Amino acid sequence: MNDTHIVSGFDRDLESVQAHIMKMGGLVEQNILDAAKALRDRDEELSEKVRKSDKAIDALEELINEEASRVIALRAPTAVDLRVILSVMKIAGNLERIGDYAKNMAKRNSVLVHMTPVEGARTALGRMAREVQLMLKDALDAYIQRDADLAQEILERDREIDQMYNALFREFLTFMMEDPRYITPCMHLHFIAKNTERMGDHVTSIAEQVIYLVTGTMPDEAREKADFTSRDPEVSDLK
Amino acid sequence: MYDQPNLESTVSQNDIKISADKVQVYYGENHAIKDVSVEIEDKTVTAFIGPSGCGKSTFLRTLNRMNDTIDICRVEGNINLDGEDIYDPKVDPVQLRAKVGMVFQKPNPFPKSIYDNIAYGPRIHGLASSKAELDEIVEKSLRRGAIWEEVKDRLHAPGTGLSGGQQQRLCIARAIATEPEVLLMDEPCSALDPIATAQVEELIDELRSRYSVVIVTHSMQQAARVSQKTAFFHLGNLVEYDDTSKIFTNPTDERTESYITGRIG
Repeated sequence: MNDTHIVSGFDRDLESVQAHIMKMGGLVEQNILDAAKALRDRDEELSEKVRKSDKAIDALEELINEEASRVIALRAPTAVDLRVILSVMKIAGNLERIGDYAKNMAKRNSVLVHMTPVEGARTALGRMAREVQLMLKDALDAYIQRDADLAQEILERDREIDQMYNALFREFLTFMMEDPRYITPCMHLHFIAKNTERMGDHVTSIAEQVIYLVTGTMPDEAREKADFTSRDPEVSDLK
Repeated sequence: MYDQPNLESTVSQNDIKISADKVQVYYGENHAIKDVSVEIEDKTVTAFIGPSGCGKSTFLRTLNRMNDTIDICRVEGNINLDGEDIYDPKVDPVQLRAKVGMVFQKPNPFPKSIYDNIAYGPRIHGLASSKAELDEIVEKSLRRGAIWEEVKDRLHAPGTGLSGGQQQRLCIARAIATEPEVLLMDEPCSALDPIATAQVEELIDELRSRYSVVIVTHSMQQAARVSQKTAFFHLGNLVEYDDTSKIFTNPTDERTESYITGRIG
């Protein structure tokens, strides 16, 4: 298929809105990394920076939605152009949510720095956040390169995030049972772990949008969820 | 959620009205339509789209033998209406055109009264045995043409005195006065303003409950709005024929995609 529209303004509009997605994605990746780094180094200042930078992410989402609705109203996109517009709106929504989770991580860190450190947990959380950030980077690469195979791979990788979360869930339970003074920090750390796991789900949703954009159909929802904490009898036994 | 039938496509459980098989059309040496096979459904609006010169109007005109009027034009292959070959020598083209009506790009009312414009067809085909019956046909046709309310008080005024949009609806009313089974429309809105276009589009949607409507249009948005089935023609070939919702969201052929997204003219 020919890559360019006869009306070149249409191409410029589509490029512009996609450039904003990439910019937004870059900011979100940076905030995940910064929030995780702040957690590891007990760095309150960096946490504050993450919280402030989330405003720029929210503003970009609004801008993308405005641009997308303008393209729909003025250019009546069809077929692949329509899918580009539908996918940027969804992806912008996913990125905004991921950004919120990173901000929430930073907020909780501002509380955690004043508490007894929980050994080991912060390294594991850092690894998990790093993995989510890499998945996001690949999802955005898959988007720009229109690579449905890479996107499919990301869907599989979300399993690992779920497993990391399961492991942390047990670890926090053990800490809290051993010493009630750990309950408050572990509750916060658990929320961070759960939120990071949710970030993975949003990255997965972005990958699904890439597949939809390229193939015109959504991938089959056959993926098995690997978050067992809500149904594992062993976990309930621990209560 | 993907198993649920799309509301628009549920209408496509209709019988086949026109069946074209391996149709070729030549204008002298020029091979204008190449091996086109298509099945057009009853009680459905089918849109033909494609760039200028792609053969969509030519193909439309084969469906009621309008190409017979062009000397150098030659049609091969089979076109069946309700299973009967319309190119059979026994078929009278005039009778055929009463069954397969046509509306053209420019409104072309006869230079007669509004009443006579409608009554002309039923008169020559002997559809009315009395003045009262003819009056009834005229009123019914004008009602179905969605123009009765606007002209009922001036039925004997000349048809050419109406506005462009009214003239086109008059022509549609005239085409349906002979109780056709199929209505062919060759860019029926390209000479109309947006309001008149919307009125004709609304009328086309109403006509769908009785007739099989085939419309050639240069406006892809119009094809998307009015049709349930869309056929994309390119360089004399039928490239893709599918549900309109499929053609405009996820076409199979790259040429279709390029055309509907505005990448080739």
